[in-house]
Amino acid sequence: MTADTVSFGIPALDKAIMNGIPKGYTILCLGGPGAGVELFAKRFASVDTSNETVTYFSTSERDSDVLDTMKEFGWNTNIKIVNIGTMYYEKVLTKHLEVSRYRLEGLTMRDIRQFKLAQQKEEDMSITNFLTTVTYEISKMKPPFRIVLDSLNFFLEYYPPKDVLSAIRTIKSHTQHHGGVALVTLVKGVMDSHIESGIEEIVDAIIELERQRDGFEFKRNLLIRKVRNHPEKTGILSYTIDEKGISAKSM
Amino acid sequence: MATEKPRKDAPPIYRERCATGIEGLDNILNGGIPRGNTILFTGSCGTGKTTLSLEFLVHGAIAGENSLFVSVTEASDKLMKNVIPYDFFDETLIKKGTLVFVDMPVIYERLGLTEMELSLEDVGTIVKAVGDLVDELSIKRLVLDSVTSVCYRLKTEEKIREFILQIGKCLSDRGCTSMLISEISPSAERYSLYGVEEAIADGIVLMGNLERRGDLLRTLQVVKMRGTNHSRAKYVLDLTPAGILLVPLLKGGSGGGTT
Repeated sequence: MTADTVSFGIPALDKAIMNGIPKGYTILCLGGPGAGVELFAKRFASVDTSNETVTYFSTSERDSDVLDTMKEFGWNTNIKIVNIGTMYYEKVLTKHLEVSRYRLEGLTMRDIRQFKLAQQKEEDMSITNFLTTVTYEISKMKPPFRIVLDSLNFFLEYYPPKDVLSAIRTIKSHTQHHGGVALVTLVKGVMDSHIESGIEEIVDAIIELERQRDGFEFKRNLLIRKVRNHPEKTGILSYTIDEKGISAKSM
Repeated sequence: MATEKPRKDAPPIYRERCATGIEGLDNILNGGIPRGNTILFTGSCGTGKTTLSLEFLVHGAIAGENSLFVSVTEASDKLMKNVIPYDFFDETLIKKGTLVFVDMPVIYERLGLTEMELSLEDVGTIVKAVGDLVDELSIKRLVLDSVTSVCYRLKTEEKIREFILQIGKCLSDRGCTSMLISEISPSAERYSLYGVEEAIADGIVLMGNLERRGDLLRTLQVVKMRGTNHSRAKYVLDLTPAGILLVPLLKGGSGGGTT
């Protein structure tokens, strides 16, 4: 590592780029289901650095799932988790479940009174914009910091793509301005290709995890598809996932 | 197909009445609203529709009939304060649960009806919710203030028709006598904003303002009421602390005075 770069947590990948990720970079990690994108995100979040604050935005796993996976591989778990998935469950899905219940079982005066009581207590019943939650949390971060947003698919499912792209630009600007690093993940092939292209245009680097069947096993390739201003750094590594975690090597 | 005509000497079918408790109105209606009817109380703002409907509920509650006010546009906490100044109002009616106020926006929220335009399916959902409350609380009198605000979110004539038909049937099946409050502009030439409500309701009571010799009088006229004979004359309505007083409008006279 140099003073201007930080590690991915995968030495061969650090070496292949610029002995690490240049500070200020926003990286997109994408791949098909089962390629290991989520694990790559956790490895990136768990790089043991003494001075970086690490914030992991999870959208589909519980906090314990994230931490247990990291512990399983013996990785550092000194991270802050902002669980958007849990927030979404509590603020939106729970309401949907309640609505289903009221519609099927009927609405009672008790249900109406409970709602009015909550209103009187000024409980927060507003609909949260979770994209805003993420950008707000990130805007508060002071350098040096490392952000993981796993994954963009959640936001693209619930918000207009232009809003998601705008949020990525905001994250990128904040990261760039303060010299932090950010990793966003995307499951490939779920969204329209023009949305993927829009995201790829914004980020500074793109890592694609590719899994191909080779006889009775999978062959895994790590494609460095974009490094801003350094097209010579693009290339392909092979990677493996075992009990020690993720390791890569030149082809 | 031949229709069976009633025999000339057959006694008239008796419809049980729901006395409104407003003496003048009960006289006009020969004892009250036929029980189970859904009546459209229509008029421009300031004509006394909400006050009259609240009095109808309070009298019902005093007589032991559980009464429900469903408020669409105004918070029920604020509305409750409107009935407190009446001499005949007893606060224990609310404490005992004989007189109940519910805010329609809370029903919308609980049922997840957040879109500005409601669907035909949503109509059924709202009617079911109202019916469930009527069953749970054994409601015999209901006011929906205003039906115009509900119709505003239904948009199409088809959905409005379906809503009025469904809510009318739902309440009538439960023996609940109901007032649907309808807002119209003073210059409107019909009895409801969308024109559908008036065709389906069992009765129409038109409330208006009449300027006479510098005074703005409130007026009431029963235009239609299924199941009873009634006067179609115009009456002057006076809001007093003792409740609503109705006196015939004196044609060409000074009018408006309480006698």
